[in-house]
Parts: sequence; C-alpha cells; structure tokens
Amino acid sequence: MAKVEVTIVTYRDIFQEEAKEIGRYSDEYRDLSALILLDRGDMKLIETEDGQTVQVDTDWGTVVVTAKLSEEDEEHPGLAFMPNSPWSNQLVSGDTGTSKIPEFKRIRAKVSATDKEVDTISDLVERIRAD
Amino acid sequence: MAVCTGCSLLCDDIELECDDGKISLTKNLCRKGEGRYRSLREDRLVPAVDGVKVSFDEAISKAAEMLGDAENPLLFGWSNSTLEAQRIGIDLAKKLGATIDDTSSFCQGYLMEKVLRGEYPTCTLDEVRNFADVLIYWGSDPSSSQPRHMSRFSYFPRGEKRQRGYEEDRTAIAIDVRKSPTVVITADGFFRIPPGGDAEFIEALLAALGGKMPKVKDKKMKKKILKLGSTLRKAEFGVIFPGLGLIYSLKDEIDKLTPLITRLNEVASYKLIPMVGHYNMRGFNQTLLEETGHINRVSFKDGVEHGPQFAVTEAVNDCDALMVIGSDLISALPAAISRKVARIPTVAIDPHRNLTTDMARVTIPSALSGLEAGGSALRMDGVKIEFEPVIESGYRSDAEILSRIMEAV
Repeated sequence: MAKVEVTIVTYRDIFQEEAKEIGRYSDEYRDLSALILLDRGDMKLIETEDGQTVQVDTDWGTVVVTAKLSEEDEEHPGLAFMPNSPWSNQLVSGDTGTSKIPEFKRIRAKVSATDKEVDTISDLVERIRAD
Repeated sequence: MAVCTGCSLLCDDIELECDDGKISLTKNLCRKGEGRYRSLREDRLVPAVDGVKVSFDEAISKAAEMLGDAENPLLFGWSNSTLEAQRIGIDLAKKLGATIDDTSSFCQGYLMEKVLRGEYPTCTLDEVRNFADVLIYWGSDPSSSQPRHMSRFSYFPRGEKRQRGYEEDRTAIAIDVRKSPTVVITADGFFRIPPGGDAEFIEALLAALGGKMPKVKDKKMKKKILKLGSTLRKAEFGVIFPGLGLIYSLKDEIDKLTPLITRLNEVASYKLIPMVGHYNMRGFNQTLLEETGHINRVSFKDGVEHGPQFAVTEAVNDCDALMVIGSDLISALPAAISRKVARIPTVAIDPHRNLTTDMARVTIPSALSGLEAGGSALRMDGVKIEFEPVIESGYRSDAEILSRIMEAV
C-alpha cells in the first residue's frame, strides 16, 4: 500500500466549533472532525479520492479519517491539514520539550488508503482507556 | 440583553426572547454562540460517583474527600469559569496545597504573560474599532474562532477615526500557513509562510522595516515583504492579533517577537491583543498573577512555586487526584498524555458530558455561565464584562460548586 509522508497542521473550523459546543458525541462533530485535507498530488500518490477513508500513522498513534481534497489555491505536497480534535490528538507526540506545549501544529505522519471505517469517538475513548 | 460566553469576545449584545422558561428566539449570535445556546438542551451532565448517579450533595462530598485525601492534587481548567469562581478556585488550591494550572499553559500563556506584565503594548478592542488602521492577524483566524471579532471591532465597523471602515480606512494583513476564512477576507494582505516559518518571517520583516533586503528566496515574496514594511511604517494605530499559529511556532522562544514589537513602535505605533479562545482565560491569568506573581503553572504545596513542572502536561505525571473544571482535558491533550489523565482519580465539573467527564470518578454538573448563571469575566482585551443569568435552571454556578467543595474539604 502506497504511503505519503506529510506534515499535518491542525486548525479550527467554525462549523466544527459549533458542533463541538452542541456535543462531542454527535455524528456531526465526528463528520467535521475526523478529516484530513490533502494536496491533490498526494491524494494521487496514495490512489485516494475525495471522501474516501485513509489511515494516518505517527510514532504516537493511528487514526482512520476521511480524506478531503484541499481547497488551497497553491499546490502543497507534503503538507496536510486536520481540524483540531480528539482525532488529530491521537497523532500528537507526548514529548512536550522545554515549553511543555505539545506539537499540535507540526505533526509528521504517513498517510495511506484504507478500507477501514472512520474511527468513532467511542473507538478513541476505548484506546485511551485501554493503555 | 445577554452575554455570550462562547469565546473571549464576550458579546454583550445578544437579544433573546423566552417562552415558557425556554429560549425561543435569539439575535446577534454567531454560529459558535448559537451552538452554545443550543447546548442548553444537549448532553447535560448528571452528578455521579463511579458511574452511578448520586445526589448533588453526595457528589460534592465525594469530590471533597478525594481532593482532601490526595497528597498531590492538581486543579485544572478555569478558562471557562467566572472571575468569582476562579478566585475561589485559587483559594481552594491554597487550602489543598495543590498545583493549579489553566488552558493558557498550552495555549496563549506565553504571550498573555507579556501583555499582563506590560512588556508588550496593548489596547482595548473598542480602541481598535475607533482608531486602528493596520491590522495584522498572525496565525489567528477570527472568522473561525472569534467569529464576530472582525465585524464588531477590528475590520468592518466604522469607528471614531475610521468612518470609512474597511473599504478605505483599514488595511488587513494575514500571516498564515493556510488560506483560512480570515485570509479570504484580507485577500491581498495574505502572506503564506511554511509551518514553523514565523521566526524567519519576523527576521524578514525586521530587515524590511530597517530598509534592508529581506533574506527570502522567493523574489515575489521579497518584494511583497518590502511593500509590507512600507505599509507598516505608515500606520497611525497598528494592532497585531496573534493566534495559536504564532504561539505554537515560537513557544518558549516567544522573545523572538520582542525585537519586532520594539521596532514597529520605533517607526509607528503598534499594540498587541492575544486572540484568546476561552471566554475567561485572561481573567484567570490576571487573577493568579495578582495573587502569586505568576499567570499559570503554580504549586501551593510549599508556599508559592512556579515552573514548567507544574504545567498540566507535566503535572499529570505526579498528581494523585485531579479536578477539571470547564475543560475537556482528555479531548484537548495528545492521546499519549490523555492516557495518563485517564488513570488519575478525577473530579469533573462541567455543564456537559464530554470525554473527561466520562472518565472521571466524580462528575458534578454546573450551570452554563451567561445563560443559567451570572458573574463576570475579562474579555480578551482585559475589559471586565458582567452578566446576569437569563433563564432559570436548577444548575449551580461554578462559584457555588467550588464554595461547597471548599467547605467540605
């Protein structure tokens, strides 16, 4: 299975913020959070299309989310975007350095196509509880 | 008129109508605020101990027992609590000899400290509306995080000296790694930088302000930065609105920003207002600063101690009881750290069910501030906003809950 290496930058989205206010367990919150926005070329490399699921791996965790084609004007191979959420936080390093601030906005990850379903919030909770 | 506690703008122009004790109509809310209002009916927390529903008094009693018995308790959250609750929380931490920290610890803390200590010049949002002509949104995206920032204060409105508004009187600049909704509004004023490229951009800007050629490979960008230097020099009242993009890029090297702030104030007049997310993060930072000389990361175990070891991301390694108020810590932290949090006996106080409350031993439901409970808070610019409850509910305020725990400890 082809993999593409990316740096993930997390961001806030107004629609996701609204859904978060209403409840973290809703389908709407998951649909607006469990996403990765990829460059068109990177999507081609892993033979994925807009709306298909992808697996994102880092040394710290794995998550299955929906791939979306980035709407940036310029090409940005190797750069991906995810809404800040428990899904993106599965991937963030536990090392916080001298600042004690986690690296939320520069996450080195590998992305590959998958047939797996998008992780639910319950899946994430189970993983956090299990360790 | 009601106050929305959906973000640190604390919009105080929310009109609402109630029908039979329920809100039937609202005006002036942004999408995020609308979500907060709708949440009144969704996923409300119930008092529980070890997953079993108990009375409110029993939950308070168990919380006090857990915190009182702990050798090394940690009290975290606070940015979604009123000033009144924060003061009681600090007293509770003193009484328990606890560590206390808030969301600024992994958010705007570094910059907020500079502002609160008077090291960076700042101003109010009302002054921004009346006087600001050059606006720099740096690693911030108010359109998504503080949705009425640009319409109430910074870009669109007419002001005392800005009668022609954004069309002619204001120049907006956005420095970001992505084309955010705010970038779309600022259009030509967009400077795209690579992730972590903020320090380099500061250097380039300093060069441009000094009349030197910025060390940037891209020729177009070089020209653009030179032009930006000229625009910045002409400002009558410039304001920088830094967001998490800038903070997370610089982190504890935030001092790299200082020469730029200094230089900008040599050639023109520039202020800085950190783009705080939670409605009263600044309130907690200011209150704790007045009490202890530090804005966050404080331990009362042996007098007053401060340091990175008391940051929540570190303190969870050593604490034997945790109280989280108004924050979904498990969702907000990297899973690698959340796994540690999940193993700590936790008391969670929140209006709603969330991942942290689901993993807590004791849950205590609280009122939604600004809607079900009154109090006061500091807006992102330090202006104090007071609010009254606008609907009746049986939920207790954070301040009342903390007072009860304090009495019971």
